[in-house]
Amino acid sequence: MLILLWFLWDASSAYWYDFGISQLWASEWYPYESLYGLLPAIIGTAWAMIIAMLIAVPCGLAAAIVSSEILPVSWQGWLRLGMEMLAGIPSVVYGLIGLWVLLPWLQNTLDLLTGHNLLAAGMILSLMILPTMMVMSQDALRLIPIEQREAAMNMGMNWNQRLMRILLPQAWPGIRSGILLGLGRALGETMAVMLVVGSLDRVPDPIYNILEPAQTLTSRIGREMGEAAFGSMHFSALMACGLVLAVTAICLSLLAQRKPREFAS
Amino acid sequence: MKVFLSLLALPALLLPLACFLYIIIQALPALNWELIVGSNTAGNLFGDAANAGHGIWSQVSGSLLMMFLACVLAAPIALSIALFHALWASPRQQRVLIILLQILQGIPPIVYGLCGLVLLVHLLHWGISLAAGGVILAVVILPLLSSNAIHALQRIPIEQTESAKALGLSVGTMITRVWFPAAWSGMLTGLLLAMARALSETAPILFTATVFSGVLWPDSIFSPVTSLQTHIFYLAQEGSNAHAVDMAWASAAVLLALVICFSLSARFLRRYEELS
Amino acid sequence: MNINTHTNIKEAKEAESCTVPAYVCLENISLTLSEKSILKEVSFSLPATGISSLIGPSGAGKSSLLRCLTNLYGNWQGVISVAGVNTHSWLGGEDALRRHIGLIAQKPSVFPASIHDNVIFGLSRKERKQDQSLRIEQCLKQAALWNEVKDRLHEAANTLSVGQQQRLCMARALALEPKVLLLDEPTASLDPHSKQLIEASLHDLAKEMPSLCVTHDLEQAQRLQGQIIFMCDGKIIETATVNDFFQSPKRLETREFLRWSVCDCD
Repeated sequence: MLILLWFLWDASSAYWYDFGISQLWASEWYPYESLYGLLPAIIGTAWAMIIAMLIAVPCGLAAAIVSSEILPVSWQGWLRLGMEMLAGIPSVVYGLIGLWVLLPWLQNTLDLLTGHNLLAAGMILSLMILPTMMVMSQDALRLIPIEQREAAMNMGMNWNQRLMRILLPQAWPGIRSGILLGLGRALGETMAVMLVVGSLDRVPDPIYNILEPAQTLTSRIGREMGEAAFGSMHFSALMACGLVLAVTAICLSLLAQRKPREFAS
Repeated sequence: MKVFLSLLALPALLLPLACFLYIIIQALPALNWELIVGSNTAGNLFGDAANAGHGIWSQVSGSLLMMFLACVLAAPIALSIALFHALWASPRQQRVLIILLQILQGIPPIVYGLCGLVLLVHLLHWGISLAAGGVILAVVILPLLSSNAIHALQRIPIEQTESAKALGLSVGTMITRVWFPAAWSGMLTGLLLAMARALSETAPILFTATVFSGVLWPDSIFSPVTSLQTHIFYLAQEGSNAHAVDMAWASAAVLLALVICFSLSARFLRRYEELS
Repeated sequence: MNINTHTNIKEAKEAESCTVPAYVCLENISLTLSEKSILKEVSFSLPATGISSLIGPSGAGKSSLLRCLTNLYGNWQGVISVAGVNTHSWLGGEDALRRHIGLIAQKPSVFPASIHDNVIFGLSRKERKQDQSLRIEQCLKQAALWNEVKDRLHEAANTLSVGQQQRLCMARALALEPKVLLLDEPTASLDPHSKQLIEASLHDLAKEMPSLCVTHDLEQAQRLQGQIIFMCDGKIIETATVNDFFQSPKRLETREFLRWSVCDCD
């Protein structure tokens, strides 16, 4: 892993030496004029992750609760099978759906010039994260012993109280790692995002405008790696994007490692 | 509350399924035997409709080739990591190893692609090649493969290991006679899952191993290949061409079938393992 | 109006059929789970105070009977009335019924929270916000746990021993101020000391409310005194006071069970 980081650092060092750390929040990226600000892509990535999580976390959690607490047991195996299969669908296939189904739909319903935008990227990402999110939360819910539920029932707690005071608090560690895993996936996903995000290097104006074409770190690398000549400043700048990605991903993983405070069992 | 949750859950349960069905429906017009075994280069795609390329055989075989290369490279390493973890690592080393594997698993594949691009393609002068793609995919699946192998070994009851040691078996005999029979199915499950992963990764090989057209079958491992994943991507860029759209859906369906094939067999193997 | 009168008459009849002033009254309870008959026409009643012991070999349907009483199994047939009210038409539904009946399970299952929070876990949000230290002290004393935990109320409940956890579960149930107490083999996996403490507190509690203790330990049933209900294979074989039951059992099955600890009911 250190080797990996060193590589990224080494390949992008030219960029850091020439421009310095301030490029992280410079907002211009025009490779042909030697302007390499990372801010637009970082904001794009952040927005895509936020939108994806806003959709995927409530829906995935609700689906997990419905499937493990409401639906009959005989359905669960099949649902799980389906979800595991869906979690394995290649991202480029989701990209196709995003490009040819979601984009025209967004364009028509919201009356936009083009459907390529951050909202579409976030929605397609949420679709990809949903199965993972659901499987992880479901596992966490199923790990809670049946005695806990029955003890709560014996105390006259109704379904809502059991959910809020027994199930969710006890399943939280699992749900939390599901969320972090989903975040990591949203961060690193390339193909699907690349196809729908529009690849326009500009800070959204205003900053919460998610209906404009934008750029994420991954889509920038995917788009421009083919054009950048090895050894050029453009190439180093793209490697710097990779370094930012890797460091963020490592932070997320470390966060997932840290066990939340809980009562010893 | 229940109703509210059910409403929230409905899209989560139905949308992915709808997507799945949609792909199959879209793929149906172009999906036939000719498509899979036909081997026209994709370059013909933009000729007149009559001569348009039909086959994606070279893409399918390219993908499979790269997948096998990755597995052949990664499996021995993963196996030795798992054995190291089980035999020689101290508890502290074990913990660090697990954390490291999980971190590596969390790093976006495209970052591995970047490293591979610098090291293999440029510094080692392999060029855009099958070998580079195979090695990069091997690195991408290595954490998954190793952690699965470690889990498979951990599931062996401690009594078995202890009784093997009590019999005075050597480490080699213990591994081949006691551990391997107990853990092979778990390891194979991990391998199948890793294969599915290698098949579905697109980003890291996009600019290190594959080209869009002109290649039917790589001449050597240092020549470029075409793969199904990247083929879909390139086709998606040609959105205006109706034939390309059909081909893209059909390719997506084929890729999906391959991936699901691997993950389903992994699933059945796991079920078998639980039963026995 | 008509229907009302009808149900009133029916309930009056039910009350009549239980001879002594009974607080809990079961009539012809039958239960079938996955096509297997678990309970067959079980009828008995619990007086307003005092302990009843429900004994019988394992698999006799003792635990299932308790689960029917609190509606954890919902598909039983027959009539259960508590305080003269049919449990099916209990005001506030089955959750209110379960708060009225405190059930203590065989395996203690504390919630992953502090001892303090465990005791008040079942109270409403408003009540939990208020200072409940008096109630907590009282409940823990009733469950014979107060002396052991009074200095560490804010420690995690999982750090207690199994015997202490069982008594904590009892305190937790008592905090809801139940009017009936059901115990499902409360001492099955406990050390002798905890067993003794629980039996003692049970004696005290039974002075105020009807208590039904499921046990397969004949000596424990003898120690607990009160009424003994002997159950086997889903049926009630004999109901008697402790002395009658152990000194002069009326049924052949009872005698066999007392001598051999086996029961062959068919």
